[in-house]
Amino acid sequence: MTDTKLTARNVDVFYGQKKAINDVSIDIDNGIVTAFIGPSGCGKSTFLRTLNRMNDTIAGARVDGEILLDGENIYAASMDPVALRARVGMVFQKPNPFPKSIFENVAYGPRIHGLGSSKADMEQIVERALTKAGLWEEVKDRLTDAGTALSGGQQQRLCIARAIAVSPEVILMDEPCSALDPIATARIEELIDELKESFAIVIVTHSMQQAARVSQRTAFFHLGSLVEYGETDQIFTNPREVRTKDYITGRYG
Amino acid sequence: MSKSDWNSPEAARRIARRNASELRFKMIGLGAIVLSLSFLALLLVIMLKNGVAGLDWRFLSGSDSTEATVAGVWGATKGSLLTMGVTLLLSFPMGVLAAIYLEEFAPKKRWIEWIEVSINNLAAVPSIIFGLLGLAVFINTLGMPRSSPLVGGLTLALMTMPVIVISGRNAIKAVPPSIREAAYGIGASKVQTTFHHVLPLALPGILTGTIIGMARALGETAPLLMIGMRAFVATPPDGLTSPSSVLPMQIFLWSDEIDKAFVQNTSAAIIVLLVFLLAMNGIAIYLRNKFEVRW
Repeated sequence: MTDTKLTARNVDVFYGQKKAINDVSIDIDNGIVTAFIGPSGCGKSTFLRTLNRMNDTIAGARVDGEILLDGENIYAASMDPVALRARVGMVFQKPNPFPKSIFENVAYGPRIHGLGSSKADMEQIVERALTKAGLWEEVKDRLTDAGTALSGGQQQRLCIARAIAVSPEVILMDEPCSALDPIATARIEELIDELKESFAIVIVTHSMQQAARVSQRTAFFHLGSLVEYGETDQIFTNPREVRTKDYITGRYG
Repeated sequence: MSKSDWNSPEAARRIARRNASELRFKMIGLGAIVLSLSFLALLLVIMLKNGVAGLDWRFLSGSDSTEATVAGVWGATKGSLLTMGVTLLLSFPMGVLAAIYLEEFAPKKRWIEWIEVSINNLAAVPSIIFGLLGLAVFINTLGMPRSSPLVGGLTLALMTMPVIVISGRNAIKAVPPSIREAAYGIGASKVQTTFHHVLPLALPGILTGTIIGMARALGETAPLLMIGMRAFVATPPDGLTSPSSVLPMQIFLWSDEIDKAFVQNTSAAIIVLLVFLLAMNGIAIYLRNKFEVRW
């Protein structure tokens, strides 16, 4: 069963005078993984960052068009970007745990959003998030250790735990495996596959193999435009657009 | 280049020249350090030789006097402590808040650039000018008591604040943007991000800058001349508004005395001042090491 979680209509993004995204319209569904692929500088990360208004923090960035989360315009004046980012979480390219303990890394989000008032509640939230992120067994005996002391792959799973601890509806992942080795990457990919049951997941990736492995839908971006969007199988076996075909067969990118 | 070239006399000469120039640079660098340190050592030796005999309890607990053997340094020390207290209380929160605002919150507009340039200039203004400003504003306009630690502290706070702003901004700038993104990404507000994540990471740098600024203020004499802290004060100040001297001013006054007996007092007071300065720098290093977070 799928239903639409995020809808973008005629979205343009500008950095100052430069137009980074040109007229993108896309529907992102619940319960599946949607992959954004394309060559470097094609705007896939930029577009991802419009979905939780992360671009707001960049001076000179401007977004035109409409992005709806459950039918509600996230760029409307009534939408608080801080509350939005709790609903649309994000995992970044380089693992960026806070230089605090493992427990604090996960507990920080729930605490600032007032989830879980008692210490026992918080411990339960942290355990559940770490379990979901597949990290609990590895760290349960050393929750007070620094999050930054974990290995790269563990750090990234900690960042995923941190994101899911605030119970978001959507998780955006910006090349989450590009700094990881193949084994850590495989773990994250397994994890993404499990997490899609609970969250709508959007992943930006440089690796076409990764997109093919983890996603059900794929969007191909080129030069700031959405060239083609469809079922992942169809995109990789039977692309409609010449540019998509050239990209996935390695002609450029 | 063929293999044999590396064995030719020409190549050997080239390598020898390069090694010689490396050695030359190391020697020049070492010489520069030895020269500057030897001046510091010379200062310490002379001061200890002249002053250490004068460092007794009577000297450390007494106040200024026309009689060299009775004169002590406590009055000036207490004045310095009170003055520094006022300076720290004002310049630290103001400097840190200004640094945070400029780095994290200020819109990148033209008038912000003007403020930045002004603050950088403020840090470079000669200290005597701050003294004149303090005299004009705090004493003549606001009618605060002349020669008091309150006015001294206010004046030195004006001087110290830009130093704290500049070091604070550098420390805040050095916090990696990925930490801010991480906090924004889970829905932390700008203020939460700043105070929960950026500020704790920037704190060691801010504290170091603050202590170095305070150490500079502690040794400052010129601006305090202008606000009348050079008066002869025979009793330790009993509050922020009573007339007071400060350590560097006391050194200046004693060094001016004709009586030979004050030479020992001058040297002993310099030792006390140096101990304070070294202690403050030591605290700065300790705090930096203690709170520094590595990742």
